[in-house]
Parts: sequence; C-alpha cells; structure tokens
Amino acid sequence: MRKSQIFVGGHFRRITALAILLGGITFFPGSMRALAADDTITIGVVLPTTGSESKPGQYQKEGIELAIKQINDAGGIMVKSKGKKLKINEIFYDDGTDSKKSASLTERAMSSDNAVAVLGGYSTALGTAESVMADRYKTPWITTGAGATAIFGKGYQYAFGTLSPVALIGTTTGEFLGSLIDQGKLKKGLKVAIVVENTDHGVDYVQGFTEWSNKHAGYFEIVLNEKFELNATDFSGVLQKVKTSKADIFLSDAHLPDYITMHRQYLQNGLHHQMVSYGARGPEAGARQALGAGTDYIFSGIWWSNKLPYPQAKKFAEDYKAFTGHDVDSWYAAPAYDGMRILAKAIEAAGSLDKTAIRDALKKAQLKDSVLPGQVLKFGANGQSEYPFVITQNKPDNKVDIVFPKDAATGPPVAPTPNK
Amino acid sequence: MDAVEYLDLLLKALLLAGVYAAMAVGMTVIYGVMKIVNLAHAGFLMLGAYFALEMFQRFHIDPILGAVMALPVFFLFGMLVHWILVRWLPKSDTPTLASLLLMFGFLLVLQNVGYLLWGTEDQSILTPLTLSSVQIGEISIAKVKLVVFVAAVVCMIVLQIVLHRSWFGRSMRALIQNPYAAKIVGVDDQRTARLTFGLGTAFAGFAGALLGMLYSFSPDFGRPFLLRSFVIIVLGGLESVSGVALGAIVLAVLETFSTAIPLPWYWHKWSFYYLPPSYQPVVPFALLVLVLVIMPKGLAGLFNRKWKAA
Repeated sequence: MRKSQIFVGGHFRRITALAILLGGITFFPGSMRALAADDTITIGVVLPTTGSESKPGQYQKEGIELAIKQINDAGGIMVKSKGKKLKINEIFYDDGTDSKKSASLTERAMSSDNAVAVLGGYSTALGTAESVMADRYKTPWITTGAGATAIFGKGYQYAFGTLSPVALIGTTTGEFLGSLIDQGKLKKGLKVAIVVENTDHGVDYVQGFTEWSNKHAGYFEIVLNEKFELNATDFSGVLQKVKTSKADIFLSDAHLPDYITMHRQYLQNGLHHQMVSYGARGPEAGARQALGAGTDYIFSGIWWSNKLPYPQAKKFAEDYKAFTGHDVDSWYAAPAYDGMRILAKAIEAAGSLDKTAIRDALKKAQLKDSVLPGQVLKFGANGQSEYPFVITQNKPDNKVDIVFPKDAATGPPVAPTPNK
Repeated sequence: MDAVEYLDLLLKALLLAGVYAAMAVGMTVIYGVMKIVNLAHAGFLMLGAYFALEMFQRFHIDPILGAVMALPVFFLFGMLVHWILVRWLPKSDTPTLASLLLMFGFLLVLQNVGYLLWGTEDQSILTPLTLSSVQIGEISIAKVKLVVFVAAVVCMIVLQIVLHRSWFGRSMRALIQNPYAAKIVGVDDQRTARLTFGLGTAFAGFAGALLGMLYSFSPDFGRPFLLRSFVIIVLGGLESVSGVALGAIVLAVLETFSTAIPLPWYWHKWSFYYLPPSYQPVVPFALLVLVLVIMPKGLAGLFNRKWKAA
C-alpha cells in the first residue's frame, strides 16, 4: 500500500515537474515575445539564401542587416507614441527559392510574428507570390528584388518596391545602343535577337526595348524574340536560332544561373555579336569566376553600381565591406539597404507601430540620401519606385565601368566588341 | 534552318546524350538489382560535381581525371551507404514506399551537408577547355562536351564488359532473373546488392563530375537531372545498358530538336510553328506520360519486367 502511494506520489511529482517545464516552455517564449514586441520593432525579412537565387538573396539580406545594424547602433527608430527610440528586431526566413514557401513565410511573418512590415521577395517570381499577402494582412511589404510592373499593377495598397521597373532596363538599353549609333560606333538598322526568361521580368524587358525601338524607327530591327524557362540546362536549340537569325546584337534578360549557363553555351557555340547583354546581369563575381574572360564586354542595365560617384554610395560600399568582409560586387545589396532605410524613415514619420499609419507614411516617404541612381528614393502611386538605370560594361581584368549615362560614366563604352 | 544547321544540332544532341546516359545508368543498375528507385541519385550527382571541383582547386587535378578518380571513391561511399542504410530495407520484388522515403530523406541530408560544406553559392569549373570549341566548317563543337562524351562512352563500355564478363555481372543477372534460385546455387545476394549499390553510386559520382564541367552547380544541383534519369530509364526500359543509351539519345534529340523543327499545331489551324523554347522542359514530362500510356501496364508493368543484363 505504502509502496503504491509512493509510486503514485512519484508519478504526481513527475507530472507536476513536467507540467511546470511545459508551462515554462510555452510561457517564456510568449512572454519574451511580448517583451520584445513592446521594446523592439519587429521586421520580417523573407529572402532566398538557399536554392538557385541564394546568392542575390544573401546579398540582399546583408544589405538589409547592414541598415538594421546602423539604425540600431544609432539607438533605433524614434516612435512618438512610445515616447522613446526602439531598436529593430529582425525575423529572417529563408524561402529556399520556392515561391510557395516564400508566400507562406511572408504570411507567417505578417500574422504569427506580427511584424510591422516585411521586406524581401528577391526575384520577380518569388516577389509575385509574396505580394498577395500584403493587403490580406494589411501589413506594409517592400520588395527589394522584384521589379516587374505586374506586381504593382493590381492595385495593392500595402505593396512597395525599391527596384525601378524592369521595362526601364529595356528602354535604357535601347537608349544606350541608340547613343552608340549616334556616336558612329555602331551602324543604324542593327538586327537584334532577343531571348528572355519566361517571366514578367522578361516580358517587361522586351516591352521596354520594343517601345524604344518603335519610337526610334530605323535604329533596330528585331529579328528574333524568344523566351526560355527559368533554370534551363540546355540552350542549344534557342542559340541555334540566334545563330540562324544573323543578328548584330544579342540581348537577353536572365537570372544569374541562366546567364552563366547560357553564356557558357553561347561561347562554346562560337557565337559573337557586336554587343551582348543579359539584362540586369553582367558584372557578378560568380559569372566572372565561372566564365573568366568570356564575360568581357558584356553590358548590363543595373539598379546600382559601386562605381557611382555619390559620397553616400561610396560610404555604403565601405560599410558593406566592413560589415560582411567582402566587396559589394553587384547591385543586389543597395536596393535592399535603402529599402530598410526608407522603412525606418516611414516608421519614424508615422510616430507609431500602426501598420496602416506606416503604410501611409511610406507613400509619402522620401529618402534624400539614397545610394541609388538619382540619389532620391520614393514610391510612385502604384507603390513602385522609379529612378534611372546605369549601364555598366565588363572590361578585361575583372574591371567594370559605368558607360551610360554620360554624366555618370567612369569609362568609355567598347563598341563593337572585339571578336577574340 | 538549313541542313548544316540541323547536322550541327544533331551533333550537339548526341553529345548531350552521352552525358545523359552516364547520368542514368547508375540509377538503372540499382533499380535492376534491388528494385530501389534511388532518389538520392541527385545528391550523388551533386557530390560528384563538388568532388571534381575540390580535386581541381586543391590539387590542380584535371576534372576529367577527377571524374575517373570519383569512380573508386564513390564506389566505396556507395557500399558504405548500403551497409549503413540500404541493407535494412525490407526485401521486395517491387519498389517499396520505405525505400522511396529512405532515399528521399538521404537526398535531403546530402543536400544539407552540401550547404554546410560549400555554402549556397554557385560554383563552376573553369579550365582552358571550358570555353574553347572545334570548328568544322560552319559547325562549332565545344571541346569540353567532346571530352565529356568520350569519357562517358568509355565508361559505359567498361560497365557493359563488367556486366557480361565478370562473376559479379553473372551474379547480378542471376539475382534479377530469379533471386530465390540464385541464392540456392550460392549467389550471395547481400554482397551482390552491396557491390551493385556501390557501382550505381560510382556512376552517379562520375556523371556528376562530368556535369560539373558543363554547368555551374550548387548543393541543389542534380534535381533537374533526376527527372531526366527517370525518363531515360522508362524510355530505354530496364533491359540493358544499351537500352539506357538509346533512351538517352531519344530524350536528348527530342529536347534539342523540339524547338528547332516547326510542327503543325491544332491551335494554329494546323499551320507549322516552332515549339517556344520556354516549353522545352515539357518534353521529358510529355515523353514520360506518352511512354506510360503506350505501355499497357504503365510504370508498374515496366518495373516488373526483368532486367536482362546479358
């Protein structure tokens, strides 16, 4: 009997201990979250740091985290309703370059984590998937890596983007090539072959270039216009068509993995054109490591370059190197960095952590020391920002020059490109 | 396109087929003997690519030699994986859910190990061969593809000889034809299965190293090739290594020519149009479905057929 009582008592103690433990496990994180929610500003960040877009995603994450560090080191963001400065608490999720995961993680950040805003959405495909969540949860969402106009043409009220419209890359490409014709470096009536990825990004690029070409009759004749699927492994068929088209200019719009694979096969096929571009891709270190001198003279229309002559852009490049230990060798980090900074400005202007108030403040916000081309970042009526692109061209020995527009140029364009 | 351009495409398709065959044959031998659909094949391909990269970067070993070196290394690795994991699977004449889940889980483990060791960045092997090509008239052939093709064909021939002439090959055939009778006459089924898994893994590592010379890769590398391996196995059947080669040729030719030959389309009132390149990934899927529909017993019927290695 006694033994049984002890046994029962032992069980009781064990169950009580377990209950306290479980209670503790459930109580403490909850209370810590509550504490964190009161003393910090929760910002969700959803980007791919694994999968095919991991590299740009990692760069964007680093840009955002640099901005957060600088803001927190300065004491945080002044929130009037709290009467004090609050530090930013970042909740990061890796979407693994999977659009479904990207959407669900954005949803999680907006609902379960109750983030006051979410940043992320690198690449158009992932950004499109995330964008539907913003209005559903009435939470400001700033995409730092999706520039397709389709995202911003749906009337979303809580969606913002720090990338200038992709169509503008196409337009700027037209302007740049047109300027080379005007300078006599290229001849009028150039035959152009365009091969773009089958996404809104690719469609916008073609639209931008075609519009410019149509407005400036006689400059170009588009002899090939094809699309390819993302992350393709074999481009033999489409490159054969490029060869058959006997084009003078080869334009593509591709993400980094496709740019590397396609250009490798382009070179292996012995192709050569007077000018070659892969849209916003060109100077990335990964591509230059993979293809060496094969990437020389490729030009690209990009959202940012470390060659920009602004003092704030140079300081950003220095801070980024000190923060990450590596150079800012591509444009990806800059729009992410400014995305976080303009959000901080909007939160301060809103004076509270009310999501709708922050959304309203974002609509009016202006970042006047932006590191991006034009030096001012603001959002248009549809939520997307619009600032000029710069054209860079790869030069031998891993050099990159801004070659357009002329007032930002750091070197002359090489046109037509030499056939090695 | 003129005749020379079609010939150019055909050559490119055949070169691609060589790589596809080397990629799929490892999966075929494992399925043939053990009835395991090796989803971890994609992980072995990825490890093969990184093996060639490490040999190239650390020891300046030519990637082709690295690929050859991958054969014994991955053979031992495959036998180890079999000893630790695969041998515990229940024996069956058909693929089991347990084997599918185990190999899928192992693929995820391999991928995550890849992320831990090499990070997320895409890697490439750049040698003087990578970007150079041989010009024959108007036809341009990438040297690296030629070399990879030759290496793949030589390895397939060696495998064919092993399967036909060695004790191991005879044991495999006996187990495939009648596992019970094979055991009665003294064939050690566990040992043969372990060697077969090692052989399949060795070929996956070898093919991965070759693929690493053609494409950039990350720990996620291998998945697109896994589907193609499936299609090749289904297309070529499980009859022989030459069946795999045939399947690889059919797939590579169809993929390459699908966007280059105008076909009559119902949607365009039977006018001739090219298949847009963006639809090229549909080709392996469509082929898989087509083969399954034509075969009365579908995939199960195909899997139930005996693999006659001889």
